[in-house]
Amino acid sequence: MLIAYGEESRNSNISFDPVGTGKSVNEASSSGSCAEDLEGEALLSAVRSASGNLSQDCVKTGKALYPASSLSPGRGKCSSNFSFRPSGDAVILGCDKVPSYISRSVAGSYDNEAVAIFALIFTFYLYIKTLNTGSLFYATLNALSYFYMVCSWGGYTFIINLIPMHVLLCIVTGRYSSRLYIAYAPLVVLGTLLASLVPVVGFNAVMTSEHFASFLVFIIIHVVALVYYIKGILSQKMFKVAVTLVVTVGVAVCCAVIGVLVALVASSPTKGWSGRSLSLLDPTYASKYIPIIASVSEHQPPTWPSYFMDINVLAFLVPAGIIACFLPLSDASSFVVLYIVTSVYFSGVMVRLMLVLAPAACILSGIALSEAFDVFTRSIKFQLPGLSGNSHSGAGDTSSGSATIQDNVAKADKQSSTPKSEDTLKERPSRKNRKKEKEHVEKASIKSHIEKRLLVLPLEASIISILLLILLGAFYVVHCVWAAAEAYSAPSIVLTSYSHDGLHVFDDFREAYAWLSHNTEVDDKVASWWDYGYQTTAMANRTVIVDNNTWNNTHIATVGTAMSSPEKPAWEIFNSLDVKYVLVVFGGLVGYPSDDINKFLWMVRIGGGVFPHIKEPDYLRDGQYRIDSQATSTMLNSLMYKLSYYRFVDTDGKGFDRVRRTEIGKKYFKLTHFEEVFTTHHWMVRIYKLKSPKNRVRGKSKKSKSNSKPGSTTSSKSGRRKKNPWH
Amino acid sequence: MSISVKPSVHLLLLLFTILCSSLTPFKAFSESDSDRVAELLNLQSRSKSGVIHLDDHSLNRFLTSGKPRSYSLLIFFDAAHLHDKHELHLKEIRSEFDLVASTFISHNKNTPSQSKLFFCDLEFKESQSSFALFAVNTLPHIRHVDPQIENPKDSARMDQSDFARLAESMAEFVESKTKLTVGPIERPPVVSKNQLGFAVVALLLSTPFLVKKLLDGDTLFLDSKVWLGLSVFVYFFSVSGAMHNIIRKMPMFLADRNDPSKFTFFYQGSGMQLGAEGFAVGFLYTIVGLLLAFVTQILVRVRNVTVQRLVMIFALFVSFWAVKKVVYLDNWKTGYGIHGFWPSSWK
Repeated sequence: MLIAYGEESRNSNISFDPVGTGKSVNEASSSGSCAEDLEGEALLSAVRSASGNLSQDCVKTGKALYPASSLSPGRGKCSSNFSFRPSGDAVILGCDKVPSYISRSVAGSYDNEAVAIFALIFTFYLYIKTLNTGSLFYATLNALSYFYMVCSWGGYTFIINLIPMHVLLCIVTGRYSSRLYIAYAPLVVLGTLLASLVPVVGFNAVMTSEHFASFLVFIIIHVVALVYYIKGILSQKMFKVAVTLVVTVGVAVCCAVIGVLVALVASSPTKGWSGRSLSLLDPTYASKYIPIIASVSEHQPPTWPSYFMDINVLAFLVPAGIIACFLPLSDASSFVVLYIVTSVYFSGVMVRLMLVLAPAACILSGIALSEAFDVFTRSIKFQLPGLSGNSHSGAGDTSSGSATIQDNVAKADKQSSTPKSEDTLKERPSRKNRKKEKEHVEKASIKSHIEKRLLVLPLEASIISILLLILLGAFYVVHCVWAAAEAYSAPSIVLTSYSHDGLHVFDDFREAYAWLSHNTEVDDKVASWWDYGYQTTAMANRTVIVDNNTWNNTHIATVGTAMSSPEKPAWEIFNSLDVKYVLVVFGGLVGYPSDDINKFLWMVRIGGGVFPHIKEPDYLRDGQYRIDSQATSTMLNSLMYKLSYYRFVDTDGKGFDRVRRTEIGKKYFKLTHFEEVFTTHHWMVRIYKLKSPKNRVRGKSKKSKSNSKPGSTTSSKSGRRKKNPWH
Repeated sequence: MSISVKPSVHLLLLLFTILCSSLTPFKAFSESDSDRVAELLNLQSRSKSGVIHLDDHSLNRFLTSGKPRSYSLLIFFDAAHLHDKHELHLKEIRSEFDLVASTFISHNKNTPSQSKLFFCDLEFKESQSSFALFAVNTLPHIRHVDPQIENPKDSARMDQSDFARLAESMAEFVESKTKLTVGPIERPPVVSKNQLGFAVVALLLSTPFLVKKLLDGDTLFLDSKVWLGLSVFVYFFSVSGAMHNIIRKMPMFLADRNDPSKFTFFYQGSGMQLGAEGFAVGFLYTIVGLLLAFVTQILVRVRNVTVQRLVMIFALFVSFWAVKKVVYLDNWKTGYGIHGFWPSSWK
């Protein structure tokens, strides 16, 4: 019968996908210093203060982003009653422990993203602040915080695309205002100037397509501003004439500018977009064309458990927050919606961008939670037998109560007269206006609160709902603590495993790095796959050929090619790179799945991308990488196979690989150009030395050989003592 | 010298073929090689892509009993009932095969090479004995049968790696086996020139109307319900891991190998997910928030207390169930045991 073996290739065998919870083994372990712990703490508190403590009416992320709450007069009192400000505090409760953010800010995994996320949120906050106040002061601060973001992370392109998108959205939906102009134009001008000061960015700030959206919107907003200005100074008739004039001129100018932009973009091979950004727009791009990006486990698309791991129960609350933002939609709340929608899409493409989603999810679920608590507590308050009489008599402690009623009625008012409130929402440039509007609502509500019905839900159901929400929150706390303790605080350089007979510690990496630093020359070079580059540099203090900086692809491809080649060409490549030692990570003995054999796929792909003589099909049997008896000869002769499985059969007599769950294909072989110098306790790291070329050239120059050999050994011995004064 | 001779020989051969084919009615009993070539050419011209559909009978005629042969056959083994198994990529490989065939035919039109190689396909259901003849028991499977080959089992099999890189690598395989040139493979563009032109014209024509509508403010753009629906959908789409399914081309579910009527909807292990699984959990993620929003924003305005009560009980029940289910599924899928850290004195 027909056997579908394609299926097999998907289900079983080597799992080439070490993506776990969104933290790459490679990168996380590379930044394994815990000195920045304090900074992380400071950052957290900065986020906290940014979203809650700085000043009364402004710096609450939740509140600032959610003007509906600032519209309702009752809230302030209500909050003082509970000592629990709505939204803002709920956001803080979510944000200060969201696992996604913890993953970048705990000791050991502290990364520049930890700074960047704060900068990102702070920039957004200042943008919203400027949008709400129209103050140039905040606009300048906004540009500065954008600069801070550019300094800290390449993800700043998210800002410089999201804000223009929001501006465009505002314009399209007819929400243009001078505040919008003040919020946007200075950011583009100042921000771009500042960004180009950062060496890594430089002229990219004006030359690459990631930034073009902002310039395009910059032009559009000026045209729109001009139209609004002309509309203001001209009469209706004159305006129509002017519109035709301006439209023709404007369209011509726009066409010219767009033409120039298109020409610029088209002249670059990647259309001016960097690979990472392109893979966000076209999610299948990287997997097709850029193996170096596709190979990083952080760049894999996440599965649904990743969301549960990283934002946990917030995932349940976000839709409620989105809906709350739409009722009613304001400039600020539309920005939050845009933020969550784009970030959730991006996080779906790359698991690493879960980090950008996390604050958005916190904000929205904070809004949802505070809305829910608002409704439920209100329902309980006014239906409890003891309290209801009081509140209706309108005396005593009911100041907060009546305020809430007003709040409700105000809300109902707002709903019933949407166009009016829309107008008032639009024209809130000054505080006076807002105050007036508040008074107005208050008056109206006081008048009508007797006739209008209380907006409440049944008492017992509300009590149960509150209990369930608290339960949900408690589960969130438990999960976050667990995630921080178990998943994100474990140093990935020391691995542990629990089994029935207790805890096992695998300290092989440190063992190997210590060996390197004690037993090799200071200027010896070590070749390994790039994942271990930073670790080797930092922990063994040796020069590496490739490291986690994947900016330049060619070096990595060279090492990948060497690993995929047979011994001799590999030796030649390594020798040409002046490599003395080759380090491979091997998990077959203990069952450590993210070892080099499982990453071999990428070595071949990346190597083959630059050096076409490496052909992936040569390593595949039936579309799979196999190392058992079915493996291709190219695979069995590749350096990676040999270095991984050299003498492996000595361990159990069969050569059974516990990661691939199979017996290896070629069990007995000798190395001709490499010699094993060190293998760690669990065989997780194996270090080989390149044999010196003199041993190979037989009879060619016997004299020099006999001369040089003892000489070289002594010199190397004495050299070691001399050159390595530290050990 | 030999180079200059070859074409003339071929030309003669072709002439001979044509002559023979014109004489076919007179020699109906013993089919010669040229008859078969003519018929194959005829069959080829009738097929849309140039791939000749064979069955047990015709295969026997063109291959096993037809000796000597001057042509080689490239046979694609197809099975329509496996087309819906996406992991086999049968359909894709088939369309690539068609592409190679049509490229070869158009490139070698009216040259002697056109009667040297024929692209054929066999369907499993109607030609089981031919499958047995070639000892084909796995799919996808492509065989190249040389003119010299006596036993079909000896024919060269196209490696998995050869169709891994689609039409281009298939063409390489063909060229290496037959010494014929397939020609540059030209894929039909996704959007044809006419369509593109039409789209541009339509866009240009509709722009003024769109702008007008936009200025008047009565487009879908201004309807916040549309935006709301869109954003909730994007949220649902992303948290369900649909991007993962698109990028990795995951199937909606897997059929059980041993019992095809059983389906696996949930895959254990956090690195991978199936389509249906993602959407199910994405739905659970979304429904809780939607219910919460419904209760706090809409239900609160309902006047009837009984309705409120019933709907709330329903919403509470569903939400509780959804959260519980997701927690359960997550623990099952990832194998994590989430536990609290309590003060040690509490134990």
